[in-house]
Amino acid sequence: MTDVENRRARLRSDVALAARVVPTHYPLETFIAVNPLAGLEGMPFEQAIRRAGDLYGTRGALSEEAFRQFHRDGRITDTDLDRTLAHRFPNLFGAEDLRLGNRMVSALELLRADLQHGTGSPQFRRRFLTRAEEQAPGIADTVDVQTSKWCAAFFGDAAWPMPGSEHGFYSAWRSLAPGDRSLHRTVRKELRRTPERADDAVLEALARLGVDADARTAYLQAHLTRMPGWAGHVQWCAAHGRGIDLVGYLAMRLTYEAALLERRPGPDGGGRSVGTGESVDAPSARDRAAHLIGVWNLGDIEDAEVAAAARVLTAMPVTSRAMLWQNAFEAHYRDDLLRQLGAGECPVAPGPVRAQLVTCIDTRSEGLRRRLESLGGYETLGFAGFFAVAIRYTGLLQGRASDLCPVLIAPNHDITENPASNGAGAAARRVSGATRLAGAESAFHAAKEAFAAPFTLAEAAGWIAAPLAAAKTMAPALSGAVRRRLRDAMVPTAPTVINLAAMPDEEQVMFAQVALTTMGLTRGYGRLVVFCAHGSTTENNPYQASLDCGACGGQAGAPNARTAVAILNRPHVRVGLESLGIAIPADTWFVAAQHDTAVDRVALLDTHLVPDGHRGDLARLEQDLRRAGGALAAERCEALPGARSQLSPACAARHVARRSADWAQVYPEWGLAGNSAFIVAPREVSGGINLQRRAFLHSYDPDVDNDGTALETILTAPLVVAQWINCQYYFSSVAPQVFGAGTKTIHNVIGQAGVIAGHTGDLRLGLPWQSVSDGAALRHEPMRLLAVVQAPLDRLDAIVERNPILQELFGNDWVALAAREEAGRPWQRWTRAGWRNWTESTSSPTILDEEMVS
Amino acid sequence: MSAPALTKMTKIEVVVSGSEAPAVRELIQSIGATGYTSLSGVSGLGHGGYHQGRLLFNQQAALELIITVVPESRTDALLAGLRPLLDASSGVMFVTETFVSRPEYFS
Repeated sequence: MTDVENRRARLRSDVALAARVVPTHYPLETFIAVNPLAGLEGMPFEQAIRRAGDLYGTRGALSEEAFRQFHRDGRITDTDLDRTLAHRFPNLFGAEDLRLGNRMVSALELLRADLQHGTGSPQFRRRFLTRAEEQAPGIADTVDVQTSKWCAAFFGDAAWPMPGSEHGFYSAWRSLAPGDRSLHRTVRKELRRTPERADDAVLEALARLGVDADARTAYLQAHLTRMPGWAGHVQWCAAHGRGIDLVGYLAMRLTYEAALLERRPGPDGGGRSVGTGESVDAPSARDRAAHLIGVWNLGDIEDAEVAAAARVLTAMPVTSRAMLWQNAFEAHYRDDLLRQLGAGECPVAPGPVRAQLVTCIDTRSEGLRRRLESLGGYETLGFAGFFAVAIRYTGLLQGRASDLCPVLIAPNHDITENPASNGAGAAARRVSGATRLAGAESAFHAAKEAFAAPFTLAEAAGWIAAPLAAAKTMAPALSGAVRRRLRDAMVPTAPTVINLAAMPDEEQVMFAQVALTTMGLTRGYGRLVVFCAHGSTTENNPYQASLDCGACGGQAGAPNARTAVAILNRPHVRVGLESLGIAIPADTWFVAAQHDTAVDRVALLDTHLVPDGHRGDLARLEQDLRRAGGALAAERCEALPGARSQLSPACAARHVARRSADWAQVYPEWGLAGNSAFIVAPREVSGGINLQRRAFLHSYDPDVDNDGTALETILTAPLVVAQWINCQYYFSSVAPQVFGAGTKTIHNVIGQAGVIAGHTGDLRLGLPWQSVSDGAALRHEPMRLLAVVQAPLDRLDAIVERNPILQELFGNDWVALAAREEAGRPWQRWTRAGWRNWTESTSSPTILDEEMVS
Repeated sequence: MSAPALTKMTKIEVVVSGSEAPAVRELIQSIGATGYTSLSGVSGLGHGGYHQGRLLFNQQAALELIITVVPESRTDALLAGLRPLLDASSGVMFVTETFVSRPEYFS
């Protein structure tokens, strides 16, 4: 084994280490919410966003001006600020007042004034730079343009694919790049000498750029964070065997950089360490004190008094102000929420329970549950929307199988959809209709993208295409209904069943036990138990998957709900459950459903399987779901741009249906905007409270989970997914330029990879601006997740103790944890030092630090 | 150990978190190892405290044990790559001599 091979292996490790900070990016068809700073979760949140600021040149919290506006609007109060400051600076709380001229000022008041009026907000810029960024920004831009061009060529699904791409990205690029006439001939000559292996190309380029081994990881990181969207997608593709990896990607970027810099006249690029961005001068504490004296109009103040005030301000650097505002912003919401949740348990289904509805924990389900419960006779529960069945699903139409489970796990079973025993003919008609339709669509797109066919296509189809486009624009609801009917006529529905043959009987029983125990549904069954998945119907929306179910890999969860109820209705499974102490009455029937969150309609599925004796229950349920959905649509319309307020449920239902079918609508629904809490408790804790579709609700009954297995599962999986969603909304709101997808109006879709803004640039990460903002103001309040758990505290301690992922999330302030043993007890805050009363101030000393203010 | 019918090789066992495991597997393949064995959801006690084993719905947060066997000629390269990865994470690595009966499977 040679030294060369050692260096290649070492390089692979350095690339892997550098890539830890790169955000994960999923393709559009399975767009999954992720924390773009997941690689920094080992650090405390505040430190992580500073690090991200250095890497990406972006802020990690809203601007101070935005927070100050919240303060002026009353969204953040003086009390919130004072509690936050007292929590952060316990030594200053209750300290002796300072004299400033004829005014006595407490240390807390001084800090609060600096938050409200202080100057010198920090500017954000990348501090880890490439050689090209340091020496010739124009060359850095050229490297980016080339990166975007070749990545788009490789990932795009144009009619003319990138020649040689079947041999992998690096190989194809290496053979094509020297022919790029947009580059100078000396650069093209250099490109012709690029090594055959990508790792050798990286090593050679790094040597030419003068990056030594110690600085290599940081330097590679500087390149990976320059265009984090492409880098993130390449990383995803590498894990899925798509012919590209980060070594090849870096080989391209570094080779361009080295070749272009060497050709540039002037200082060479060698011998220097990774550069840092220019630092920004923050005002001194004395300047800040003088500024506040000016704000208070105190006139001339003695030097010693200014110095004393400056010493207090020293404790709170300018760079820490935004996070203090953030903490106060969050505290306001959290205190209010816990006050509501602590007010006492509310019986949510007074009287006998006719049916139970189990929905996804998704925040949008909260509205549906609240509205349905208000009709009486219904109990609702929350559970991860894949209903504990991690499946690879193939529908009747035999398309590509879909992995319907959280990305944290791999699917366990291949599940197929088969024709029902009496539906073979209908199924055959459905399959043949779908095949004809797919063939026609394929021919249309092929003609559109071929060399000369578009001219003929325009002649042949133009007469109908233009009126259709006009109809879709002017009358989206009507046009949508017509298209739906045409499609239904061509591809008629057919009764089908879920084939469970791939799942052994004993596993079905085990699944049933885990699902029912984890959601706390082990007794008190109604005649119907509905497992309600969710999906969203929108038009012309590349980010459709972001509105579907995150627990189902960014897809609608109907197949999971159908699989789960098919298992739970099997007599064999019922017998197995009974032997485990879970007795489901013989007259209880499980039904699958799917909530379309864009229109708030709930479709009941596989109704042909429902026994005759339950038909009446089903009709009543359907009617109540329609009423609940209409009321929810009216509630949602109050916040949808362009919707009239105070619409009747029927009008609201028509309005949201029209939005859903409108191909020009950039706000089809608000998705999970506003998400801010994750509640793990019996529904009685949150029932009757309007949580404004901001809380993930996971049912949990501590009495049926003595060993804590269910709670551990909830905290290590659904909570983690909820935190990803929360962080994606957070960073898409506070740093939209880097971690958001920008405005939908200029999106250019690159195959299934993602979108770019305009014709070139980075693949955009995160959510479109229209998912978090209505154009004028943010509609998502960027706050970190608050987990609220009702469970024995020692059980929680044991779970956190044995799961490093939870120690990171809670200990590093990515998620706050509030808990109580049982209803009626005060909420406790989890800290590394143990549980603290939620309202307890950590401030105790009253003596001011002499060094600070004496 | 005297086993004339066996061929001496190097066995490398690595325990890392599930999220780090892909980088280790990729490295193993990149140096020309012909395979590896992967065991996810392992539990144990180390200097970082106790680590929970299999989690029901999260394979990424659990620990993973990856075992590979390579000819001695490939050991240095693999160690050169693994060392920086493990320096930056909480994983552990064990390197031992081992003997195999069918060396062509491993080289």
